[in-house]
Amino acid sequence: MKLILTGLLAGLLAATAAKADEMAFTSWGGTTQEAQTKSWAAPFEASSGIKVLQDGPTDYGKLKAMVDAGNVTWDVVDVEMDFAIKAAKDGLLEPIDYAVVPKADLDPRFSNEHAVGSFYYSFVLAWNKGAVPGEPTGWADMFDTKKFPGKRTFYKWSAPGVIEIALLADGVPADKLYPLDLDRAFKKLDTIKSDIVWWSGGAESQQLIASGEAAFGQLWNGRVFALQQDGTDVGVAWNQNLTAADVLVVPKGAKNKGSAMKFLAAATSPTGQAKFAEASGYAPISTKAKAEMPADAVKALPDAHVEGQINLDMNYWAEHRDEIATRWYAWQTN
Amino acid sequence: MQGNSSRRGSVAGLPAGSGSALPALLLVGLFFIVPVVALLLRSVTDPEPGLQNYAALFGSGTYVRVFLNTFLVASVVTAVTILVAFPVAWMLAIMPPALGSIVFGIIILSMWTNLLTRTYAWMVLLQRTGVINRALMGLGIIHEPLPLINNLAGVTIGMVYIMLPFMILPLVGTLRAIDPMTLRAAALCGASPFAAFRRILLPLSLPGVAAGGLMVFVMSLGYFVTPALLGGTSNMMLAEMIAQTVQSLLNWGLGSAAAFVLLVVTMALYAIQLRLVGARRTGGGI
Repeated sequence: MKLILTGLLAGLLAATAAKADEMAFTSWGGTTQEAQTKSWAAPFEASSGIKVLQDGPTDYGKLKAMVDAGNVTWDVVDVEMDFAIKAAKDGLLEPIDYAVVPKADLDPRFSNEHAVGSFYYSFVLAWNKGAVPGEPTGWADMFDTKKFPGKRTFYKWSAPGVIEIALLADGVPADKLYPLDLDRAFKKLDTIKSDIVWWSGGAESQQLIASGEAAFGQLWNGRVFALQQDGTDVGVAWNQNLTAADVLVVPKGAKNKGSAMKFLAAATSPTGQAKFAEASGYAPISTKAKAEMPADAVKALPDAHVEGQINLDMNYWAEHRDEIATRWYAWQTN
Repeated sequence: MQGNSSRRGSVAGLPAGSGSALPALLLVGLFFIVPVVALLLRSVTDPEPGLQNYAALFGSGTYVRVFLNTFLVASVVTAVTILVAFPVAWMLAIMPPALGSIVFGIIILSMWTNLLTRTYAWMVLLQRTGVINRALMGLGIIHEPLPLINNLAGVTIGMVYIMLPFMILPLVGTLRAIDPMTLRAAALCGASPFAAFRRILLPLSLPGVAAGGLMVFVMSLGYFVTPALLGGTSNMMLAEMIAQTVQSLLNWGLGSAAAFVLLVVTMALYAIQLRLVGARRTGGGI
């Protein structure tokens, strides 16, 4: 009996010891997480011997619950940058260990004390060529229902993007966007409210445009890229493309912090970033990544369209998240 | 009434067999009562002690609007479900049992298919470029696509479809218990079929209607997936709003307060219904 118990105990110890070489990565699922698994996790597992467990989708409520309860099962999480800034302020995140994660090649726009860039993307104007007469050239066309009739689709939740689009369409110059004039934005949005179909996830935005259910809309560039790869006849206007970023964070109290930092180093390396960008159409946050990519893959990135590109102000959004959300839902549900 | 049954094998005044209900009671206590109490506590302590979450809730036009809309949608869905379910339930009640069990099987079968799948199927059918609009336009019946989705119509169609079994099942039970001779007697006394329905069948079936109706109404109040996918933002229901408040805005206090108010209102409605119809008769339908 004693022998069996000792054996069991040894087995348990071995199991916990084995667990030390594991870590959990959480992202948004779908094609994006698949690309992250293939480009980051698989090579990292091979080189480090640390097993990367995939989990998802990212859920900010769950992240907060884990930290509050002191039982954090996620080690690296892919989140939107404005959330990361706010979460750091609320004490939900570990600082990034830049002794392990090389900082020199990182795009400074997308990394800070508590977050390191994951990838960056642009909101672009995409349209179904069968459903739209002519070629829209900028956000103002989405508000011109005479010239461009049909439903238009926008991101449903309160997040950087739609407010800026309305202001740009109303003639606000790109460098005067912030602080956001919410009254003016909602007034502009009122003019097309009944023509809007909202999308709440990437797959839905693709379905709406591909089926012609919405003639055009504000989409993530990677989703348009995927539609075009599938042979769907979709047009895209890069003029006034709006950049935003996803970042990788380590929740406060993560159990495998050491492994997490090593994973971050691999994920943000030029090679990891190049592979992911090629697979997803989203832009790398490592300045050295493009050198490792095929030329035609580079052409599909937001990087190739810096002319007319506008950076959404993540710090402004982190600061005013709740206030804008209150206005947003009040307007939307009215 | 207090005769044999309560004396036989009862412990401390509890009815016989109470002991075997213990696991269920424990389950409800642990996984329902405890979380509800935690919810209530959170709503008055997060981020600080006080009633500020409730003040914010009732002071916000958005939440009040979403509340009203939630009750409007649930009422419309319940009314339409009753109208659609009644003839089906009646047919099932008077059908030969062999045939009846086949139809019954078909109704139950729909409940075994994943909810999300069924809702997506409705999206494909109802959208502007969907099967229904294309067919109607192809036949020349309409020239512009009907707005069947992203509005109240879409939510109602999708939810009635999902709620139907929950209405039909209790209703069939009630209708089967009605003696068909009462209808024949009415006819013999010269009542038209409609008069017989209105004055005999309908009053006798009310307990079933009430039981099914309450179930459908309460389930509709907390519904998430179907309104989110088939409704528009102006029909946003409370569950979606709470999810957004908790998950994205991390405002757990406000979310808890909203959930608690919904719970209290639902229980109040249930209590009112018990008063009106009577617990025995409501339960008797099933």
